[in-house]
Amino acid sequence: MENFVFGLDGAELNDSDSFLDKGIIDSTGVLEVVAFLEETYGFSVADEEVVPENFDSVDNLVVYVEKKKAEMPGQPARLMGA
Amino acid sequence: MRVCTKCVLPETFPGIEFDENGVCNHCRAHKQAEYTASRKTQYREKFERLWAERQASGAYDCLMSYSGGKDSTYTLDLLAREYGARVLAVTVDNGFVSPTAIENIRRVAEAVGVAHLFVKPRFDVLKKVFAACAERQIFPPKTLERASTICTACMAMVKFICLQIAVEKNIPFVVFGWSPGQAPVTSSVFKNNPEMIRKMQETVRKPLEEIAGGEILPYFLQEEHFARPERFPYNINPLAFLEYDEARIHARIEQLGWKKPEDTDPNSTNCLLNSFANTVHRKQFGYNPYAFELAELVRQGTLDRHDALARLSEPEDGEMVHLVKKRLGIEQPQLR
Ligand SMILES: [Zn+2]
Repeated sequence: MENFVFGLDGAELNDSDSFLDKGIIDSTGVLEVVAFLEETYGFSVADEEVVPENFDSVDNLVVYVEKKKAEMPGQPARLMGA
Repeated sequence: MRVCTKCVLPETFPGIEFDENGVCNHCRAHKQAEYTASRKTQYREKFERLWAERQASGAYDCLMSYSGGKDSTYTLDLLAREYGARVLAVTVDNGFVSPTAIENIRRVAEAVGVAHLFVKPRFDVLKKVFAACAERQIFPPKTLERASTICTACMAMVKFICLQIAVEKNIPFVVFGWSPGQAPVTSSVFKNNPEMIRKMQETVRKPLEEIAGGEILPYFLQEEHFARPERFPYNINPLAFLEYDEARIHARIEQLGWKKPEDTDPNSTNCLLNSFANTVHRKQFGYNPYAFELAELVRQGTLDRHDALARLSEPEDGEMVHLVKKRLGIEQPQLR
């Protein structure tokens, strides 16, 4: 997923680094991540959920995605990862 | 120079890779037309739902970030005519708005029937910012893909100035006239989250404050704005989810009295600084900062590939570049 989002090999990025602070991603990038998650996992991301706490690092994203998948009815969730 | 055989991205573009047919990675990742169409419908419906439910308790339904260029002129007209919006159009004067653009702004505001506001930041402050942007890289490398450093700095200030005004005047939508090549459909309806905005603002404010000092601060959001999170508006970019057709845009806006400026470069219909910004970027990085946008318009089928290549290879107007340098007080920018 890192590769999709940033076109990076991840070498310069720690999982806890803030995307915004590091300048890796801007507002357009955040919204591309939102669209990517919706397509990949099939849940929808509410406007109020697009906050740094959910989107501003790899760690935050992982926690957010796991939480959203757990909330999804039915189907077993697909595995996280690119 | 090697250029993608499908779009117009050159080999000098950051991170580009060509396959055995000379097709670039961006083209290979490009989604099918049906996919784009269904995304457009999805975002248009989302906007129209929000629009129908809006609580416009203030004097305006939306603030339009109005450059006077062709795309924002068309968008302004759409808002007023198709959506019946009470619009406050805002133009940030960076000191380089072309005289023709200023006349266009007055004519169009009158023809469309909207209130209009010029905001003119201190030019001595802007001068420092633009001169520094011509000399060195200020923002993260990612931003260079989409625009020159000068454009990025200017646009960031425009965004935060508009956001300030929207919060102060309690305007629920801020509308931009980005083309579908400049902004993907996924960013066309976006709720400004204060904590997110605070972080994004820091990435711009910090480097600009180092350049221009505290005089730059009035053009960014203050604590008084962050103290009103309930007033943070949606950002809307209608041209990303509506039909985009340059011929139709020109036909419509000419009816409003808009005239094509003869004094700007082929990629900007309002800003005199643009030629200089492009020159610097082309020298520093070896590609035109409009390549990304035009490549996307080619992929989406709204721009002919040969026209795009011609636009990108056109030399900048030397005289204009010289005038800008003089006004910025930099005769010889230090290019790296
Ligand atoms: Zn290509």
